[in-house]
Amino acid sequence: MSEVTEGAVRPLIDGAARRRPIGLLLVAIPVLLMIWLVIWPAMNAIGRTIWRTDANGQLSFDLSSYVFFFSDRYSLDNLAVTLWTTFVCAILLLVICLPIALYLRFSHGRLSAYVQALAIFPMFVPSIILAFAFIRVLGPNGMVDILLNAVDLPKIRTPYLTPWGPVIGLVWDNIPLTVLILLAGLGSVANQSIEAARDVGANALQVFWHIILPRISNSVLVALSFSVLGIFSSFTLPYLLGPASPEMLGPFMQRTLREVQNPVGAMTQAVVAFGFCIVFGLFYVRSVARNQGK
Amino acid sequence: MTTLALVRPRTDWLGIVFAALLTIAIVGPLLVVGTWAFTEVWRYPNVIPQQFGFRFWGQTLGRPDVWNALMLSLQLTTVVTLLSAAICLPAAYAFARMSFPGRNILFFSFLAGHAFPKFGLLVAIAAIFLQLDLIGTFWGVVLIQLVGTLMFMIWIPVAAFQAVDRRMEEAARDVGASPLRVFWSITLPQAGPTIAAAVLLSFVGTFYETEGAWLIGAPGIRTMPVLMISYINNQMVIQFGAVLSVVLWVPSFIALMFARRVIGGGAFARGFGG
Repeated sequence: MSEVTEGAVRPLIDGAARRRPIGLLLVAIPVLLMIWLVIWPAMNAIGRTIWRTDANGQLSFDLSSYVFFFSDRYSLDNLAVTLWTTFVCAILLLVICLPIALYLRFSHGRLSAYVQALAIFPMFVPSIILAFAFIRVLGPNGMVDILLNAVDLPKIRTPYLTPWGPVIGLVWDNIPLTVLILLAGLGSVANQSIEAARDVGANALQVFWHIILPRISNSVLVALSFSVLGIFSSFTLPYLLGPASPEMLGPFMQRTLREVQNPVGAMTQAVVAFGFCIVFGLFYVRSVARNQGK
Repeated sequence: MTTLALVRPRTDWLGIVFAALLTIAIVGPLLVVGTWAFTEVWRYPNVIPQQFGFRFWGQTLGRPDVWNALMLSLQLTTVVTLLSAAICLPAAYAFARMSFPGRNILFFSFLAGHAFPKFGLLVAIAAIFLQLDLIGTFWGVVLIQLVGTLMFMIWIPVAAFQAVDRRMEEAARDVGASPLRVFWSITLPQAGPTIAAAVLLSFVGTFYETEGAWLIGAPGIRTMPVLMISYINNQMVIQFGAVLSVVLWVPSFIALMFARRVIGGGAFARGFGG
């Protein structure tokens, strides 16, 4: 709609024809930068892992780096732990954030403002500080151990340096955006439709299942896609809190590239990560674009 | 489930449970870090530190590696934010106000960076930087952090420019103001606050950017978050990390104060596709 008004108004201000090249010129630098540092690297990673120079210096179609990845025990273990972490985090995020978002949608007042502020707070805690806090609380001889000891209970088996370490950290880190996206989706659920359902005798669970869930299913998928994209290749938290072996794809890629100095291996791992995330990535991009188009 | 019933109970038990659990899970860990920063002696079985004090503040802030990292971080963040503003704000103005071929496709192409798992993309970029000898250099890190700010610094200002009242601009043009004058006196004051918020948030975001700095910058470029990684991995004195955490959190706190209103509304979540 705004397109139409703008088009109608513009000739009053300036000759549209004269502006055309200027507009392209103004957007050129960021667009070129994006092509050079987003599109090109992705293409380059795919290209260089598929067409490789053989012994004679000839470029040829060669999938050996992928064959290695999918036959190497260590790579497969890392992939498995990455998939497991992503899956567990996604489930936990839904289980934790959906009740919080439902509560925030249907209650008002100071207590709900406090809950909302707390749920959004992790957004303002850099993950590096989170990692440090995690170790001080859940690490060996951390705060939890101190408190358990004070009431004569045995120490916990610390999640630090186990696969549960990154899970706890990543869930903590992703709570704010998940709650915000779900809350935005719940905004489209009209109070009247819930009241109507209750009037005909639906209980809370039925209202949730038949009225609320169908209306927010898109938001749930967006929230999941967003967190899956972030968690699948996360680096800082798995690197600091997770086990050294098997490790998640993020630390694995970093080590392959910088310590083992095997760029082709690292790019293969990156392309594998792209492949696993492509569905979520496209869905996420489509939702954002559709939202902006409105 | 009582909340679904839309019946207001006297006591909001569900809210109390959420508030208590979230306080323990979210405020608790940060309080522990804060306590460590002001602790001189805290041996294991004690619930409360044996001795409080500021001794480790002097020691931490007196370390040359901390100062070097802080200065480097501020330089990097300033350069990235200024560059980003210089290239993105004119582009945002063009996207909001001008018509040119491919405008919509180019606008949405900035989403491409969000279609990939982020660290995978960083590794793909690093593989290119290896060939260009940009690994371990200041400008390599600048480039990688600049890309991270692009979408944010274009999409939010575009919305800001689109929200400016066109009739006021036209009125100013009618009484003979030059395009530059109109931009300076009408457009900028209205779009300014939102653009300032975008610039501030990208400054803070860049300050904390860890993954690109670690992957591209190591070993030559040690920013504050990168220094913090090495403190977590191999520093025996817990207080150094704790003091650094408290210091590091200050920019975030400023952003928190600033962004409180912006984030309260659903507009922010909608920007993420919600």
